[in-house]
Amino acid sequence: MSERPVHEHIKELSEVLVWLSDKVLQNFHDALRAVRHQDLQSARKIRMTDDEIDLAEVRLEEQCLAFLALQQPVARDLRTIVTIIKINDDLERIGDLAVHIIERMPELGQEVMDRYEFEKMGNFASDMVSKSIKAFVNRDRPLADEVCQLDEDVDVMHRLVFRKVAEAMKVEGANTEQLLAVLSVSRYIERLADHATRIALEVIYLVTGEIVRHSEDTFEKLIQSLKD
Amino acid sequence: MQLSPEASVENQTAKTSVRDIYLPPERKKISGGGVPHVMAKNFSIYYGEFEAVKKVTADILSKYVTAIIGPSGCGKSTFMRSINRMNDLIPNCHTTGALMFDGEDVYGKFTDEVLLRKKIGMVFQKPNPFPKSIFDNVAYGPRLHGIRDRKTLEGIVEKSLRKAALWDEVCDRLERNALSLSGGQQQRMCVARTLAVEPEILLLDEPTSALDPKATAKIEDLIQELRGSYTIMIVTHNMQQASRVSDYTMFFYEGVLVEHAPTAQLFTNPKDRMTEDYITGRFS
Repeated sequence: MSERPVHEHIKELSEVLVWLSDKVLQNFHDALRAVRHQDLQSARKIRMTDDEIDLAEVRLEEQCLAFLALQQPVARDLRTIVTIIKINDDLERIGDLAVHIIERMPELGQEVMDRYEFEKMGNFASDMVSKSIKAFVNRDRPLADEVCQLDEDVDVMHRLVFRKVAEAMKVEGANTEQLLAVLSVSRYIERLADHATRIALEVIYLVTGEIVRHSEDTFEKLIQSLKD
Repeated sequence: MQLSPEASVENQTAKTSVRDIYLPPERKKISGGGVPHVMAKNFSIYYGEFEAVKKVTADILSKYVTAIIGPSGCGKSTFMRSINRMNDLIPNCHTTGALMFDGEDVYGKFTDEVLLRKKIGMVFQKPNPFPKSIFDNVAYGPRLHGIRDRKTLEGIVEKSLRKAALWDEVCDRLERNALSLSGGQQQRMCVARTLAVEPEILLLDEPTSALDPKATAKIEDLIQELRGSYTIMIVTHNMQQASRVSDYTMFFYEGVLVEHAPTAQLFTNPKDRMTEDYITGRFS
């Protein structure tokens, strides 16, 4: 099979996406670390990095749109570009989550981070993103499926934090502001896992051409939840 | 690379019939359309010993637009020209298998070729107006079929030119020589000339390859206008054109029909690797 310059271009766009994912995940880890150490200087750096991420996201989208307009790709080339655009959007939103975590820094600290095991939860969710990006690079459907299944584990962790916070709120003199911040951070990490799952679903589309985002299973679940 | 053993509409979409597959909003289902208008079964075309089209099995659905794509020499034009027996003009050309039009055997003993070509009109790559007036060009077919009354002919010429989206541009100069028209106008006049004999099928063999983008756009718009009234088949080397104008696409390679599917499906998620490589330009 001969690779044409146009396919080299798709490869380059894919490489930019992988670079962006590395940057986004690094910033997310740095945000959790900054909260633990109450490191204001790192917090400023995280905000600046997020600005760079936003800029890179816009540039990558512009390049993809220009590619669509000029090359009019079809079949797997079309699916690749559409997938890059969608994953790019997910990565930008993950970038925002790091900033949201930093915004909760004043209410949090090392003790809270340990008590709710946020770094463990964060590492787990961020591994999901790494795996989904790896699935994108290798067009690996089984790995994408694995990421989708891992989402439930993060949901369980989030529900556990929720229960702990609910209990803590019942205690007289509870630091409600801190507990609300805890809930928020837990929610941000849970959203990170949701983005990883979305990326994995986009990879499944890339590999199979089928949009599985709102499968019958999802529809059944929705109906059941409405009944409940 | 391994070819699919047989690529018909039926076996490309095992569970769902091709007709049931969703068409994008701009290509709404046509009421009364979608029945097989031309049916090929194990249909082969030979030039002497050489098998140019190999055991094609496919249904061309009525009133929809079907594009035929594939590299040069793949048999796409040969297949299309066999539908109105244009290949009969080539020495040593013969066929095996069945090709049915409206339930009648195209290559049957008693088939009237003139009547067949009246029902199945064709427009070629290069506009080919006769060195006559615009009126006489369009009235040529009806006259050949015995219509002499001037009023009737005027009605046919106007109707055909309107259908071909050319009336407004030429209505005040119908007696001018057709060769004075621009290339794009000449091609639309050829479409009008074909429509004048009220065909059921329009075969378009690379109808825009000699035209500029503006004239190409007009022909493509015309195909959309005529869709729903005629069964249209178009051979094209332009992938974007095939994806823009057609409802179904057939991909031929070395005489084999590799894939035949709804255009939206074939251009987003082709089932055959060879189709994918061809339409994405990965063909070596």
